Amino acid sequence: MFRRRRKASDFSAETETHIRIETERLRESGMSAEEAHAAARRAFGNVTQAQERFYEATRWLWWDGLLQDVGFGLRMLRKTPGFTAVAVLTLALGIGATTVIFSAVYAVLLKPLPFRGADGLAFIQKKNPPRGWTRNQVSPAEILAWRNQAGAFEDIAAFRQTSCVLIGAGQAEEDPCEVAESNLFPLLGVAPVMGRAFSPGEDKDGGSRVAILSYGLWRRRFGADAAAIGRAIEVNHASYTIVGVMPAGFSHLYATPYGAVPAMWLSGIAIEPTGTWNDYWGVGRLKPGIDLRQAAARMDRISARLERLEPDLKGWRAQLTILRTMVSGDLHSALAVLMGAVVFVLLIACANMANLLLARGASRATEFAVRRALGAGEGRMVRQLLTESLLIALAGGVLGVLLATWGCHGMAALAPQSLLNSAPGLASGVADLRVLAFALSAILATTFLFGLAPALQGARPHPTETLKETGRGGAQSPRSGRLRSILVVSEIALAMVLLVGAGLMVRTLAELSHVDLGFNPAHVLTLRVPLWGGRYDQPQAQLEFWEHLVARIEALPGVESASASRGLPIGDWAGQFFTTSDQPNPPAGQVPDANYIVAGSDYFRTLQIPLRGGRTFNQYDTGIAGRVAIVNEELARLHWPDQDPLGKRLRPGSPDSTAPWLTVVGVAGNVHSQGPDAGFHAELYVPCQLPWVQAPEHCWCVRTFGRSRSPSSALWCGRFIVRTKMCRWRTSRPWSGSRANRWCNSAW
Amino acid sequence: MSTQEAGERLELLQGTLDLLILRTLIFGSQHGQGIAHAIQQTSEDELLVEHGALYPALQRLEDRGWISAKWGTSANNRKARFYSLTAAGRKQLVKETAKWERLAAAIGRILAREGAES
Repeated sequence: MFRRRRKASDFSAETETHIRIETERLRESGMSAEEAHAAARRAFGNVTQAQERFYEATRWLWWDGLLQDVGFGLRMLRKTPGFTAVAVLTLALGIGATTVIFSAVYAVLLKPLPFRGADGLAFIQKKNPPRGWTRNQVSPAEILAWRNQAGAFEDIAAFRQTSCVLIGAGQAEEDPCEVAESNLFPLLGVAPVMGRAFSPGEDKDGGSRVAILSYGLWRRRFGADAAAIGRAIEVNHASYTIVGVMPAGFSHLYATPYGAVPAMWLSGIAIEPTGTWNDYWGVGRLKPGIDLRQAAARMDRISARLERLEPDLKGWRAQLTILRTMVSGDLHSALAVLMGAVVFVLLIACANMANLLLARGASRATEFAVRRALGAGEGRMVRQLLTESLLIALAGGVLGVLLATWGCHGMAALAPQSLLNSAPGLASGVADLRVLAFALSAILATTFLFGLAPALQGARPHPTETLKETGRGGAQSPRSGRLRSILVVSEIALAMVLLVGAGLMVRTLAELSHVDLGFNPAHVLTLRVPLWGGRYDQPQAQLEFWEHLVARIEALPGVESASASRGLPIGDWAGQFFTTSDQPNPPAGQVPDANYIVAGSDYFRTLQIPLRGGRTFNQYDTGIAGRVAIVNEELARLHWPDQDPLGKRLRPGSPDSTAPWLTVVGVAGNVHSQGPDAGFHAELYVPCQLPWVQAPEHCWCVRTFGRSRSPSSALWCGRFIVRTKMCRWRTSRPWSGSRANRWCNSAW
Repeated sequence: MSTQEAGERLELLQGTLDLLILRTLIFGSQHGQGIAHAIQQTSEDELLVEHGALYPALQRLEDRGWISAKWGTSANNRKARFYSLTAAGRKQLVKETAKWERLAAAIGRILAREGAES
């Protein structure tokens, strides 16, 4: 019934009219004016009561009472600013913290991947147990054999991560990208938002070269123009036709923790059965009813057959990971712990709130006893209390939601890129509404429940008792005292658990961050400059470019040292076979390999990698005199145990390589080049200046600033970009993996 | 609350006031005092209608849509709120009347039997 309500004044006007008419009637029948008025009033009965009844019937009372309660509640809250502030803050923090952390945990751990049947998708790598290698890329031969013979997967798609220099439609730029098989997108169940996916004919090496853009690149570089489809772009000095655009937020969630989100996917992967280069990752969809272990067993049988045909593949076995666990990786336990902490925070917030309200209730027992004694109805008092709770809840809730929103944005800003790549939900910085609703309701329910305590305490049969009791000195009743004790005890217990947990977590993280990386990442900026084609086809030209560039950079103010290199800790890996002169013909499958780093003369000084013996490279390492190498302690330990590695000789490449022998002139300290939690690997450094070294198509510039990272870093890079127009810089990110932990911890 | 004469008059049974109001309004629109007066007169002063109780009842009937109200001018030129039956009210009156007649008849039958036995 939503019709216009009658006003109380209208009603009283009517009753007045009634009395007047009645008085007139009585006067006409002969009464005196006074008598008639009195009789009319008598006949009417209780005017006030009639008006009250009308008032109550029209329900204005409810609103009126609410306004009154709100006013009173506000006055009460203003009278106890300490209580109000603590209560509102408790609510806000409880809601905000819980929501932020849970949203993050959900985005990272629980949210299903945006792929069709994501639980059946496995990431395919390989391991070599005899040699202790894990998480390696796989070769085309293996992909094909597993796909066609293992019978464990509905399909397997291969892709390769690479770097693309994009020319055309604006400044040249370099982006991470992937060369993918045409069945990758159908396998994941994700179709381009515009255009088409690759067709099987485009998988061949000589097939037409086509590219699919990421949504981000399409918007950034092509202004979200639909006409981009069909356009030709130059990628790595080859012409590609754009055929599609992937949906926003689509990223290769199957990346290694160090992987970048591809800006582009290219066709022409050319998977050949003879290919034994380990350049590819695989994604497979398990056949229904087959689990990871069964699949691995079937693939191992194929691998065993394969390694007899291809000695290069000796010892390699498939290593499968369900895509979802691949994404969250080792953060799983950290986030689970965090989740527990969140629940504790929520519980503490609830207990705290309950306690606050109980204490407040106890202190107001007298007030409520007086009100009862004066005839206040039970319902009226409950409503009053509920209104007060509502006010607190409203303030706390609004603040909590704001905190949650800010927190989630902050979380997105602080999260390491690797985590953002794999959890696009996190990057959006949007609070999870279900969690927000849960936290809100849990805490608000507590607020309302315990907000009623004074009314329930006041519901004892004799308000006079309370009055007497409190009159005697404010001792509270034993019953409410017990409830509060329980709350306080449990609150303290929860806080203790939380404290111990947090302490342990901080300790673990402290241990982790105290891992000596073997180099000093502080004040190091890294810069990637790809050189492609044209005048840089000649190794000599490249070398000149680097020398020139390093000199220019070193001349800049604030730069301590600079060096060109190919391969940087942490994360870069360039596996290179080599043989030592002590064992020039190792059996097939046992050819040693090392991380191959082309380093400038100031490389070790710039990264502050200690030299354990011998010397670093210098400008005289050219020509025949430059056939030198530096090995790390790990390589020396593996190949020349208990011998002096200086003066030993080794040769990059397979045993039949014709490359010249290199003499070891220095031993460098071990570096955690694959992450602080990964062990040491053999590493082989060769000088940058050697013209015969396959001059790197990508070189890294490394440089340090003085003590302070002055704003000139950005300025410097800005100038650099302007000059070479082909530069991307990133601050050194030594912590990709465990920085995520630190991030979690600081958020906590 | 009750008047001095209360003892001599019949108190209204619960729920019958509505019926009486609806019945009274069948002759045309009337203001509150007029309704009270009409009930009293028609019942030959047997029924006690507390005027104060009349208005909440009128309000209730109005809320249910059985009567409608409008401010108008009374016979002796006073502004008063006039009530009139709506179509729904008319239907309700028929229903209530039938119900009342059945009730009265039933009570009458019981009383007649009791009377015969005693």
